Amino acid sequence: MPEARKPHPLQDTTEPNLVQDTYPYALPPLIHFEGPVTEVIDGEPVTFDFRSVADRDIAITDTTFRDGQQARPPYTIEQMVRIYDLLGRIAGPGGVIRQSEFFLYTKNDREALDKCRELGHPWPECTGWIRAEKGDFRLVREAGLAETGMLTSSSDYHIFHKLGFKSRRECMDHYCEVVDAALEAGVRPRCHLEDVTRADVDGFVLPFVDRLMEMSAQAPEEKSVKIRLCDTMGFGLSFPGARLPRSIPKLIYKLNRECGVPSDRLEWHGHNDFHKVHANAATAWLYGCDFVNTTIFGFGERTGNPPLEGSVIEYIALKHDLSGIDTLAITELADYMRSIGFPIPDNYPLVGKNFNTTRAGIHAGGLRRNEQIYNIFDTAALLGRPPHVAITDKSGADGVAHWVNEFFGLKGEERISKIKCAKLARWVLDRYEKEGRLTAISDREMEAKTRQLMPDFWTRYKGDEA
Amino acid sequence: MATVEERVKRVTAQVLNVDPAEVQPEHHFAVDLGAESVQSIELAAMFEEEFGIDMEEEAALSVETVGGAVDFITRCCKEQGVEVEE
Repeated sequence: MPEARKPHPLQDTTEPNLVQDTYPYALPPLIHFEGPVTEVIDGEPVTFDFRSVADRDIAITDTTFRDGQQARPPYTIEQMVRIYDLLGRIAGPGGVIRQSEFFLYTKNDREALDKCRELGHPWPECTGWIRAEKGDFRLVREAGLAETGMLTSSSDYHIFHKLGFKSRRECMDHYCEVVDAALEAGVRPRCHLEDVTRADVDGFVLPFVDRLMEMSAQAPEEKSVKIRLCDTMGFGLSFPGARLPRSIPKLIYKLNRECGVPSDRLEWHGHNDFHKVHANAATAWLYGCDFVNTTIFGFGERTGNPPLEGSVIEYIALKHDLSGIDTLAITELADYMRSIGFPIPDNYPLVGKNFNTTRAGIHAGGLRRNEQIYNIFDTAALLGRPPHVAITDKSGADGVAHWVNEFFGLKGEERISKIKCAKLARWVLDRYEKEGRLTAISDREMEAKTRQLMPDFWTRYKGDEA
Repeated sequence: MATVEERVKRVTAQVLNVDPAEVQPEHHFAVDLGAESVQSIELAAMFEEEFGIDMEEEAALSVETVGGAVDFITRCCKEQGVEVEE
């Protein structure tokens, strides 16, 4: 690599630079782009300007009730309605969560769909999901849906080994018959290119998409075929310079610019088998898919899907605006899901019980000085989750003082100093040093001891006698 | 009434479990007398209780020596109208 050395003189200052144009704290950290990027595709330089995302109508779609439900026991209808209701709140008036897809096969499937629609939310719009079978298509007609996803698996693994077609031609013709039926019935088909990151892109995917574009030319714009790129096994790569079929930038470029599929008819669907699922979804947005398909808390087939709440935060970061999203509903949704036995790991980003909990006393000390030091953004305002300190032998007096102030809800000048928490800090330390305790001190234990060891403060701030 | 210095030495010896006769004004609480992190907080808390004063946390915890504590506490007592024997 050529040298690019240059001197970097210290820019001394007595005022801190908190980089607030990127970390405003009132919003999640913002994403800024400095200029176009260039990929080499088929030997030619191709330019992408990610700054356009600020003006593009990007959005999130949801597959909690389809892919999400394939990985767990079925939701009850009441549960689906509650989840859908909260998705509607998160979506906001602008429909940041634009669509949610539903199975259509059973009586319960239909009842759930109908009850969700009865709520009357404009967003997310309900769509269906079917196999590419004409027989399944009648389910869409019966449900009165305007759009349906249909499985049009695109890799030879699926075409030959799973579906048993004798040739790609036979497969393509079959898919197109069902697409035709959809277009004739005035239903918008959304073709799910399953396993696209393992497909022969030039040999099947692009010819198939070209044909879908020809068919769409005969239909009104709002009914023309949409394409969902399905990274079924999580093989997709965001890395510049990666090769097809794994390269997400190249896949989207080919469909968007070579086949001419507009960005508002392109959607990305991923899986997390290689820990890349969220970054891959964001990459898809940047390179020209207007929609990313997600599930709540990433829960879906095998290792799961792009997490919906992660995409919500990414959306705000890209748009530099809350855009009417009710971010508090994310926490409400997590609490509801836990209440019905849905497992969310304690350290899961944004919604885990401990996602913004610190155990280290030195971090608690930082939090006490300035919450922004060790908190990713204003989680209290945006998620209803102020930073928390878990009390262990590592917490120190700083950790104990932070816990006490958080417990009493004290801010600014009214906060209690750690000097006043000395007895409680000693009690915590003695549990470990004298009694050999190995586990964290629970909030319940801390409450009881605070009442006992800080009775005056308890009476003052809890309003009852200690 | 015992002087501020005598009272500071007595509290220091009690909290740090050392002989009061061995506590000298030049002694550093942590380096010479072995005060650990929580003990420093406990010292400050006991000084507040002993003298009936409130001490600003950062200022109080930046005092490093016995003599420094005597001066700091004397100042706090004067500011807060607490009579002491210097």
